[in-house]
Amino acid sequence: MNAPPARDHMTPPDAPEPVDVIIDQAGKTFQTARGPVRALDPISLKVPRGAFVALIGPSGCGKSTLLRMIAGLEQPDEGGAVLVRSKHPEQFRKEGELGIAFQDPALLPWRSVADNIAFPLQILGRPVKRHAATIQALIDLVGLKGYEAALPGQLSGGMRQRVAIARSLVTDPSVLLLDEPFGALDQILRRAMNVELQRIWATRQTTTLLVTHGIDEAVFLADTVVVMHAKPGRIAEIISVPFARPRLPSLFSNPDFHALCDRLTESLHGEDASP
Amino acid sequence: MTTQPLRENARILFGTLIFFAIWEFLGATTSWGIAMVPAPSRILMQAFADRELYWLHGTATIQTSAIGFAIGVTVAVIAALLFCLSPGLELAFRGINIALFAMPAIVIGPLLVLFLKGDWPQTVLAALMVYFPAMSATLLGLRTVDPRIADLVAAYGGGEARLMRYVRLRGALPDLFAGFRVAAPLAVLGAVLGEFGSGTRWGFGAFLLSALPQGNPARLWGIGLASSAIALAGYALFLLPARRLSASSTAVTLAAVQKAARPSGGWAWQRIALAGVAVALPFVIWWLAVTLTHVSPIIAPGPGRTVMFLIEGRQAAAARAALLTALGQTLPVALLGLLAGLAFAFALAALSLLAPAVARAMLPIALVAQNMPLVAVVPFVVLIFGRDVTASVFMAMLVVFFPAYVLLHQGFTTVPRAASDLVSAYGGGRWKQLVHVAVPYSIGHLFAAARLVAPQALLGVMVAEWLLSGVGLGNLLNVSRGGLDYDMIWAGALVSILISVGAYEAVGLIERKVRR
Repeated sequence: MNAPPARDHMTPPDAPEPVDVIIDQAGKTFQTARGPVRALDPISLKVPRGAFVALIGPSGCGKSTLLRMIAGLEQPDEGGAVLVRSKHPEQFRKEGELGIAFQDPALLPWRSVADNIAFPLQILGRPVKRHAATIQALIDLVGLKGYEAALPGQLSGGMRQRVAIARSLVTDPSVLLLDEPFGALDQILRRAMNVELQRIWATRQTTTLLVTHGIDEAVFLADTVVVMHAKPGRIAEIISVPFARPRLPSLFSNPDFHALCDRLTESLHGEDASP
Repeated sequence: MTTQPLRENARILFGTLIFFAIWEFLGATTSWGIAMVPAPSRILMQAFADRELYWLHGTATIQTSAIGFAIGVTVAVIAALLFCLSPGLELAFRGINIALFAMPAIVIGPLLVLFLKGDWPQTVLAALMVYFPAMSATLLGLRTVDPRIADLVAAYGGGEARLMRYVRLRGALPDLFAGFRVAAPLAVLGAVLGEFGSGTRWGFGAFLLSALPQGNPARLWGIGLASSAIALAGYALFLLPARRLSASSTAVTLAAVQKAARPSGGWAWQRIALAGVAVALPFVIWWLAVTLTHVSPIIAPGPGRTVMFLIEGRQAAAARAALLTALGQTLPVALLGLLAGLAFAFALAALSLLAPAVARAMLPIALVAQNMPLVAVVPFVVLIFGRDVTASVFMAMLVVFFPAYVLLHQGFTTVPRAASDLVSAYGGGRWKQLVHVAVPYSIGHLFAAARLVAPQALLGVMVAEWLLSGVGLGNLLNVSRGGLDYDMIWAGALVSILISVGAYEAVGLIERKVRR
């Protein structure tokens, strides 16, 4: 069950590959009223710079917990460690190098689109005015031009989610964490957002970790898919995605794409087959 | 779409006109109408004749309640901020908060007079009544933070200070104004109750006291309606900002459902220590007030002396007997009023589920009536029920009914749509929905209502006793005040506050046993 380290298929083999996220034997046990519950077995994983890694697995496999540990929102159990660019997550995030978006857009209802996107800058104590151009560029990037002054209540679910994506990019992060950001959207909108996210990622090459339920979403977006199993949460397999970039929407109907999706589905259900 | 509210408004206007026409007719032509429900035209004419009195009394009460309100909400907002930053502090102040919430305000007036001069006793009582609802609403608003947004702030390295500055303060505004809205009419009630105790010359409390023996129904109604109008104006003042700030326009009542703060990572002994502080703090403040103000211990005895008054000495037995007799007269009436009021509210809230038209007619009235100051109903009660024990029961019921109805109605409407749809899908009617879904869902609201109104029932009975019936705890305090029996005033106040707090805690205890 030992997970092999992330492959080096993205970078030429001769250059020493910089690693952005190192997870070393990090597990997580939650104390509940009925005793300790192991959410995550100690696992190890390395994410190279510029990689797009998708974490996929059933509910309760600890994929969100893993992401929250990278964000420093959860601490790994004794003996485990998480390093982001050789720093402690808490120290790393204070430098504003981390971008994050959740399944729920979590927008402040009293702030306009532009002000919501500016929120991380304020938390970091950076001047908002100096970043006005960045904010405007992000609004254009996620296709919300003309909605700068709109309040979250006036937007559709998909538009709110795009605000959250723009907000996660406003600090120009070197590591981007996405926790099922399209989970609440319908399939059609989700595809459109996948295409959009790929375009955004392609322009920045930010190291990205995406937690998702969607097999096709993982295959379409990621270089590497980490398949996780539940009870207790653990890494089952790590699969590379060979498709060349930029990936076009037509990929969704490519037979190779479907073959890989089937392969992933098998891996997700593999736990029944193994002894 | 636009014609819909227009038609609704027209219907309301029409209903109101019909109502006044019937009132005018019955009040002017029937003998009981002339004696008990004087016609609106007569009330207006009497008010016009009394216009100078209204001006003098009215300005006094408005000024007192406005100053009291300002002081009360300032303290409340500061306290809420401190409690939000330090949950331990809130636990330590729990005793004070609950005492201020549950105290029958009428017993505080005569005590404040001993320390304060001029209009200050009424003003401070108004502030004390404002404090709890404003504080608890603000605290609730400050505490309620979307956990995802809290995560977001943490993910960008922001601490509690940034969360407070960018999220909590702004997020609490709708709750803050909702709290102000509930508190504003209470300031008027506090001012009037304070005027009863302080013996001031001007103010609606004094006006009512002087009008009660005159037996002029039109004047009594006028006083009741005018004091209600002042209180409701205070309510309406904060209606607009609260509406604008929160998208929802749901009815907001006192946040009686107080989430007890849990000290994170606190040990058992720490919690026990804080609970001890919470119990001791009200007495410490009492002792400090008495000691620091240098008021004679005969007028203002400390906690020790007051307890001793009931235990030791020559008069102790007589004092105990007087107090027990008074309690024997007051408590059964308060309990009866409480249970009857709650039952009536529950029945009517259930009925509005079975027949939604009832709710449409009833809810606006209840929303307004729950903010009418308790003393405003005294004229109606005395004219219709006279001065005996029925008046006290009715008073308690009236105080209990409206807030309980509003809360229970809220409870019935929070039932998830899917749950009642499920009953419908299996062919169940409204009755089945009520029994299997609505009542179980709203049991929390029933307890919240009981906790909210239990102290109110005692206050209602005591006000009736003070002003009308001449028996029980309310009367004992009024007589002791007149007879300058200071020890008895303090002992009576202490006992009635303890009973109120006990009732509040008892409901909480039952709730914890029932709802696991």
